[in-house]
Amino acid sequence: MSLTATQIISSLEKILDENSIIFTKEKMQSFLTEPRNRFHQPALAVLKPNSISQLQEIMRFANKYKIPIIPQGGNSGLVGGQVPLYGNELIVSLAKINKLRELNIEEGYILVEAGMILQQVQNIAREKNMLFPLSIGSKGSAQIGGILATNAGGAQVLSYGNGRELCLGIEAILADGSLYNGLKFLRKDNSGYDLNNLLIGSEGSLAIITAAKLKIFPRAKFYETALIGVKNLNIAYQLFQQLVKKAQKRLTAFELISRFGIAIQIENKLINQDFISLQSPYYILAEISHFDIEEKEILTQFFEIAYEKNLINEDSIIAQSMAERNEIWQMREQMSESQKFAGASIKHDISVAPKLVPELIERGIREVAKINKNIRPCPFGHMGDGNIHFNFSQPVKMEREEFLSLTKEINQIIYDIVLSLDGSISAEHGIGQLKIDLLERVKDPTAIKMMKLIKNSLDPNNILNRGKVLKL
Amino acid sequence: MKILVALKRVVDHNVRIRVKEDGSGVETENVRHSMNPFCKHAVEAAVQIKEQNKAKEIIAISIGPIEAKDVLLNALAMGCDRAILLKTEKEQKIEPLAVAKLLKIIVQQEKPDLVFLGKQAIDDDANQTGQMLAGLLDWPQGTFSSKIELEENRVNVTREVDFGRAKISMPIPAVITADLRLNVPRKTALPMIIKAKKKPINIMEAKDFNVDLQNRLIVERISEPPKREGGKILNNVQELANIINELEAEK
Repeated sequence: MSLTATQIISSLEKILDENSIIFTKEKMQSFLTEPRNRFHQPALAVLKPNSISQLQEIMRFANKYKIPIIPQGGNSGLVGGQVPLYGNELIVSLAKINKLRELNIEEGYILVEAGMILQQVQNIAREKNMLFPLSIGSKGSAQIGGILATNAGGAQVLSYGNGRELCLGIEAILADGSLYNGLKFLRKDNSGYDLNNLLIGSEGSLAIITAAKLKIFPRAKFYETALIGVKNLNIAYQLFQQLVKKAQKRLTAFELISRFGIAIQIENKLINQDFISLQSPYYILAEISHFDIEEKEILTQFFEIAYEKNLINEDSIIAQSMAERNEIWQMREQMSESQKFAGASIKHDISVAPKLVPELIERGIREVAKINKNIRPCPFGHMGDGNIHFNFSQPVKMEREEFLSLTKEINQIIYDIVLSLDGSISAEHGIGQLKIDLLERVKDPTAIKMMKLIKNSLDPNNILNRGKVLKL
Repeated sequence: MKILVALKRVVDHNVRIRVKEDGSGVETENVRHSMNPFCKHAVEAAVQIKEQNKAKEIIAISIGPIEAKDVLLNALAMGCDRAILLKTEKEQKIEPLAVAKLLKIIVQQEKPDLVFLGKQAIDDDANQTGQMLAGLLDWPQGTFSSKIELEENRVNVTREVDFGRAKISMPIPAVITADLRLNVPRKTALPMIIKAKKKPINIMEAKDFNVDLQNRLIVERISEPPKREGGKILNNVQELANIINELEAEK
């Protein structure tokens, strides 16, 4: 038996108070408009449960009547995983399930509910002079539940790892409303399947994460941060290799940024006009964390030598205060968003072995230029872990729609190169609804078969994020 | 023209300040330090004047522990020509009057035409050193400057004051203190850092200058500001109205 929209809403009104159910078009808008403005389906309603038990009740109800559910965090996902595909889904926002449950400095963890915003987690740790190292451009809106559901990475993966590696345990609600408690953390625990790691990265298609125990670390005493101009990508990789050898785990970031990306920000006054003199085709943001104030500088000395060997350019800068460091990071974190100022863009979130990053970018730029030499490449990302956001901005004198009509063709070129280099077509943004066909085409068939078997047994009615990740 | 820029090493202004448990001061051990932000504007102003070929030499000076060499290096990398460090003991605190007296001696030796300082340091927020130095030297002073224009033997300074801006004109030599709106300090380019390491830093002991460095002030207690209570997200305007009414009723 299927229910009408009115019946569904009135049933939900028995579970939730009136402020927790949103169904007018205007009020739902902020839950439906995602950062890339690519998906435009409505939702049946947006639900904002106050408690875990309310969320369980919603799931029991949805499962009984086979109503599709979309779990949503901060709505900052870039592949449409958190917004509707069919238009009849219920969005379940975790925003109100956002409490701090425990902070344990001695054992180095923080236990929070899924709706807590990333920046708040960072701030709570900071208050105690600790660090939660995961950081992404959308840290002011992204929530912990969404971050783990998508196994987000960000800029510090190099030494601290991505969401999965930073997570000691999770709590989640299954499609039938039952509560899974995987918050217990033991260094040694070989008692059956690792369910936490199955749910992390499942993009809300297997369960709804409701709480997580996250690793926190002692905070660095000071950072050396540099923005270095390089002549080409091979030099960038060489420097990375040498610096890793020298600094090892203390090298906490090695980011690549194309000149074009900084130029847009300067042109549009997102950063200071004389931020950097922009003489180089590529820039590296390198950072070393020091845990003792007496420690000698590594980065400055390393780049001094590189400069004398003529490997890096004159426009390189080294932060002399935390304010300058923050300014450099702000520029890096604005990269994704600032591309809007250059018109439409076609984006790829891909990864290859770090040593293949130069080849990936050079081949990609060369091949895409064959379509139209005025397309403006804007590659940037985490060179240190091989994850590049390989984006292309529209030519200045081309209509937006005309450029976007090239999406398939450009995707094909880039993904073919990635696959020929043994890379991944989705490094950290996930599959969502955007890359679902692509995954089917490129992923190992046995892996796809296993994923479908898991999905069918955990969510037999296919109510959790229906039509995302896997084609059923 | 010759310019002397005085600068101070302070706890980096993005570091979270922690008050010592006994209330005697703030934690400075094992904490990142950098150049006082206002001093950075003073250095930038001097370097810009030199870049316009209106000054021949800029000397940076700091009074502090040996670690203050780092902020002098930063000033040299921004474009100062040489530096002087009047070294103090590691934990020694020197009050503005003693600093002004030491600076006066250096001014008499170096004979600069202008002395630039930050309007205040972010650690004790005294906002006194520039004024005291001008007084001791009997030079005119242009404090809280947001604009500096040089003329033949004169300098015009736009000052940020409570009621707006005041433009004053002073004969040279003069003392000028920098406010935040004066300029945007440059980032330090790597080649400049390399060059800076080859520039001379003359290190002398502050205690050898025959100036009474004894502190006059006694700090009784330093405490943290009261914690702000967190905000609350309300569901609708009615709830807000109810709260306002309650507050009104309490009055």
